[in-house]
Amino acid sequence: VASLKAMLYLGYRAIVAHPLKRLARRGTGLERFRAAYVDEGLAPVTPEDRAAALAAQECISCGLCETGCALAGADPMVRALGLHAAFRLYGRGPHELPLAAAALEACAGCAGCDALCPTGVPISRVVAQLRARAAAGVDASPADEAAPANPGIVSTA
Amino acid sequence: VTAPLEADVLVVGGGMAGAVAALAAREAGARVVLVRRSPGATALSSGAVGVAPGAAGRDAPLAALRGPVEAAQAHALRHPDHPYAVVGAALGALPEALAFAARALPLLVPALDRPRVLATPLGGAAAAALCQRSQASGDLLAARGPVAVCGFRGHLAFDAGLVAAGLARTARRGGPEAFAVEVDLPFDDPAARPHELARGLDAPGAAERLGEAVGAALRGRGAGVALMAPVLGLDGAARAAERVAAAAGLAVAETLSDVPSVPGLRLQAALEAALRAGGVEVVTGALAGPAIPGALVEVAGRVIRARAWVLASGRYVGGGLARRGTLREPALGLAVQAAEGREAGVHLALRPAASLTVRDRRAPQPLLSAGLRVDARLRPLDDGGRPVHPRLLAAGAVVGGHEQATDGTGLGVAILTGWLAGRAAAGGIA
Repeated sequence: VASLKAMLYLGYRAIVAHPLKRLARRGTGLERFRAAYVDEGLAPVTPEDRAAALAAQECISCGLCETGCALAGADPMVRALGLHAAFRLYGRGPHELPLAAAALEACAGCAGCDALCPTGVPISRVVAQLRARAAAGVDASPADEAAPANPGIVSTA
Repeated sequence: VTAPLEADVLVVGGGMAGAVAALAAREAGARVVLVRRSPGATALSSGAVGVAPGAAGRDAPLAALRGPVEAAQAHALRHPDHPYAVVGAALGALPEALAFAARALPLLVPALDRPRVLATPLGGAAAAALCQRSQASGDLLAARGPVAVCGFRGHLAFDAGLVAAGLARTARRGGPEAFAVEVDLPFDDPAARPHELARGLDAPGAAERLGEAVGAALRGRGAGVALMAPVLGLDGAARAAERVAAAAGLAVAETLSDVPSVPGLRLQAALEAALRAGGVEVVTGALAGPAIPGALVEVAGRVIRARAWVLASGRYVGGGLARRGTLREPALGLAVQAAEGREAGVHLALRPAASLTVRDRRAPQPLLSAGLRVDARLRPLDDGGRPVHPRLLAAGAVVGGHEQATDGTGLGVAILTGWLAGRAAAGGIA
């Protein structure tokens, strides 16, 4: 009986509900993609962003960069978090990037960290890239400058 | 166009293994160029040099721990792939190599016949062959009275109570009694990270004020040594630990360090100072493209030519091995071997890196012991088991066969193989 009910429900989804939903939906494919996936961190990225993300993946969170980092003047919360936290924040959804804005702003851009990374992450370049992205906001992702702001995305900025 | 930098020996890697190799080759009369990109695993080490775990069992008395050389020999017998076993009779040179490292790095105290038993920042006890002067009075086998573990009031990074409770367990194995106290930091900075605390204590007056606070907190408690967080100064020349001890009026020692490690940074700084003092030409940059000894290589715009090379580029942390799908040796493109693969006739290293871990946490992990396979003269071997080049040697963690991050032999292997490879690379020059 249970499997019959399940089959009926699946049939209803396939024959009635899904076609109706397809008829009702609006917007381009890209907009719908973004509405569905940006919150999960699957936003479209530029080739530069992608290159920076790949470089950042080499980070092993050893913290050696922090010894050359003059974050001492920054907010205590930012200092406690440290610079390499930026890499962990990097992989998250773009809607979380604004949360890292304070940490990213605290970077003086001295590039003292670059020579300290054992795995060769171009830290100052990654931080600069993240800053630009955080400053540009969530919706300024590539390839859809003409697209209207999507109400499905809640900006935390 | 500048003329190529001509040398007898090129060392790739500036951690413990590379620096010891460069200094040993220099001592043998060679002209040495050392190429390094950044600090690596040495700068993340505990700050002391463990040669081998001398354990006779978890609950065995501390006095039963084997001395460094004996422990290394026992370790080699149990682990036939370990570099200590691979070098064969050359393991007998370990005391000489350790003495060489202690001479080259004045911040280290020389090895004893017995191990030094030092407290970890989590209250454990670990055996070390060499340790820094700031750690030496923390030797649990030499403590003349109870250990007073001093935490910093309002600072969460070091839990004195935890360390004291851990040392109380060690007391049953013949260690000293321990108790915890809290002292005030000489400056108000509750969020300071370890290297910031250490820098703060380097400043004139700060270490003295901390020492006075320690002395006041321990007056009349009969403590033999005050054990503190491993943050007593970043600059070895500032001698912060000695200043704290002088002001406190009793022996003061640091525990071993977790990461981020101030003692590790001091050790790395000492290596760099020794390279400068020893007349080793240091070039900062990455080796561009595969080449072989004798060929011209370019590093950061400098063209270098050397007859013999020592590869001491480290494991994953140092960047000597990389996981890009499979395991690679990025500098020269040498063949990486994962343990157990040889016996099974399978090239484990060619499998995805993620498949090289096993679920049982205590079981050997092929991923963590992967590295170059070398012959007894430390020459890396290719897939067919032949030396890649007669004058290409490897030293330190890039040599596989041991889990250098966890088996307690990391810096010991670095010193032994670095010393052997440096002397071999310089051989026949002078």
